[in-house]
Amino acid sequence: MLACAAALDHAFAERALQTQYDRMQGLAYALLAATEPTADGTLSLSMFRLPDSRLNNPGAGLASALIDERGGLTWGSISLTDDVPLPPMVAPGEWSFESTDTSFILAFGLRWANPVEGDQTYTLLIIEDRATFRRQVAGFRRTLWSWLAVAAIGLLSVQGAILAWGLGPLRRLRRDLRLVEKGKQTALGGRYPQELVPLSEAINGMISTGQAQLERHRHALGDLAHSLKTPLAVLRGMSEDERLNAELRQQIAEPVARMHTIVDHQLRRAVMAGRRTLTEPVALREVIEKLSRTIEKVYRSKAPRFELDIPPTLKVRIDGGDLFEMMGNLLENAVKYGKGRVRVHASRSRQGLCTIRVEDDGAGFPESPERLLSRGVRADTLTPGQGIGLGASAELVAAYRGQVQLTRSETLGGGAVIITLVA
Amino acid sequence: MRALVVEDDAALREQIIEVMKGAGFAVDAAANGTDGHFMAEEYAADIAIIDLGLPEVPGLEIIRRAREAGRSYPILILTARDGWQSKVEGLEAGADDYLVKPFHKEELIARVRALLRRSGGWSQAKLVSGPLVLDTSAQTLTLGDQPVELTSYEFRVLNYLLLHAGKVISKSELNEHLYAEDSERDSNVIEVFIRRLRSKIDPDGTGNPITTLRGAGYRWDWPRPESED
Repeated sequence: MLACAAALDHAFAERALQTQYDRMQGLAYALLAATEPTADGTLSLSMFRLPDSRLNNPGAGLASALIDERGGLTWGSISLTDDVPLPPMVAPGEWSFESTDTSFILAFGLRWANPVEGDQTYTLLIIEDRATFRRQVAGFRRTLWSWLAVAAIGLLSVQGAILAWGLGPLRRLRRDLRLVEKGKQTALGGRYPQELVPLSEAINGMISTGQAQLERHRHALGDLAHSLKTPLAVLRGMSEDERLNAELRQQIAEPVARMHTIVDHQLRRAVMAGRRTLTEPVALREVIEKLSRTIEKVYRSKAPRFELDIPPTLKVRIDGGDLFEMMGNLLENAVKYGKGRVRVHASRSRQGLCTIRVEDDGAGFPESPERLLSRGVRADTLTPGQGIGLGASAELVAAYRGQVQLTRSETLGGGAVIITLVA
Repeated sequence: MRALVVEDDAALREQIIEVMKGAGFAVDAAANGTDGHFMAEEYAADIAIIDLGLPEVPGLEIIRRAREAGRSYPILILTARDGWQSKVEGLEAGADDYLVKPFHKEELIARVRALLRRSGGWSQAKLVSGPLVLDTSAQTLTLGDQPVELTSYEFRVLNYLLLHAGKVISKSELNEHLYAEDSERDSNVIEVFIRRLRSKIDPDGTGNPITTLRGAGYRWDWPRPESED
């Protein structure tokens, strides 16, 4: 826009200058028409035949002069002032156009056949003040720039409006994605313009294949577990077969036990989904209710009593399988090492932190419970008992960048496990 | 007591059958989901041990259908997946307990016994009735403080009667729960077992623990102790 304006400005200035030259040339011809010989045969101009009345008007900004070959002023218009510098002579038939800071000077050389003294050369000068020209150009510039500014503002706002309108669907897409990320939606549901449909479909596809892939992965691992553990079970059965000799049985039992621990540990780690974006949120209460029903059934002789203080609307953004694992281990431990009373409390803070507290009425944790949470313990050094379940839960919590705290239950007197999750 | 075993791995199936027989059970076994499903619905099992990873019909489906068909015997699932989600699925489908492979045979027997006692309303390994104590895990019987020798069939009959104490058990019901499907049966044998049990438990014929109801069957009449929990 600026370049365009500069070009326009330049073109206009050129054009104005050309016009000025043409006009002054026209005036020169008109002045030539007004020339007449004087009595001594030299050339002069008749005051009454001057083509422009400004020439007779001092201060009108237009003056003319006729200069002879010796540089002397033969004739000067009334408007001619003394301070005008006289330019050098111009050869007959030549034009000279000069532009100074204050005025334009046009000179034309002419030959005059003086009947008395023979051929003479003269220079006709036309001097025009630059003020008029300057006013013209300034006026043009003002108009040009102000209209350009108006046009610029108009264009920019139209462009802005078009952009805003055109990017609308993208903004909607972003909002929908955020909803999916927050877990308020499971897929991009909005209607999008045709150009964005492939993108939104691709994102939806990604969300669902991510889930499907995880399922497939788990399924494959399940099959692997099945095909590894069934023969392990057979081997273990053999190691307990009293018909075989004791030494042989012992030789089978040891590697079987080691393989069992390693397979268990590695499979557990492999099944873990971990923190992913766009994980579908899971209602915590539902999971805890299912787990407590299962544990009540399995530990019926202990008659476990679960007290749940969990809002039904509380959802956590953790993969379902991971959540089952995380909470299952904790609830089972609470029943196993307590007298059967378990309290589960969960709440979400205003900052979005989710706190889950599992309390039991058992003996509580030992003096330095951190050891129970230690991760990265080599599979073959794991010992059965509280360590494995709690350690596995802690590992899962860590995978979701949460925190586990072991403490004493204020209300039930046993152990309390407090999990803090960002999701 | 009659147990149904559904496991597709032949070696493991044989081991489980052997362990269960050793613990005094009559065993029916299936190697795939289709047979397992049929047996689970049609046979008079007292307990079922079902593997979850079965060909044809999945273990979960067998459990679900057996429960829908009104079968109420306890079900122990065998699973290779020790994840909580699969445990929850199994128990929500209607199973009562799970055992993760590989397992110790003692643990299998202990779980099976625990489930049976629970389904009969007993929570202890020892079934007590009057002066009689039947230890289901050691498979021994004491009367007063005297040990009594029992054959495995006598043990099964007594165990079944005690678990269903107070209820009338028909000869054919006893028959069904004593033998696997493919064994030869003779209902006259039941009368022999009952006679032998009577002579062992009540040698002087004054206690009358087992009442014979003509044309209907037998009933265990000695009470359970009050303090039983």
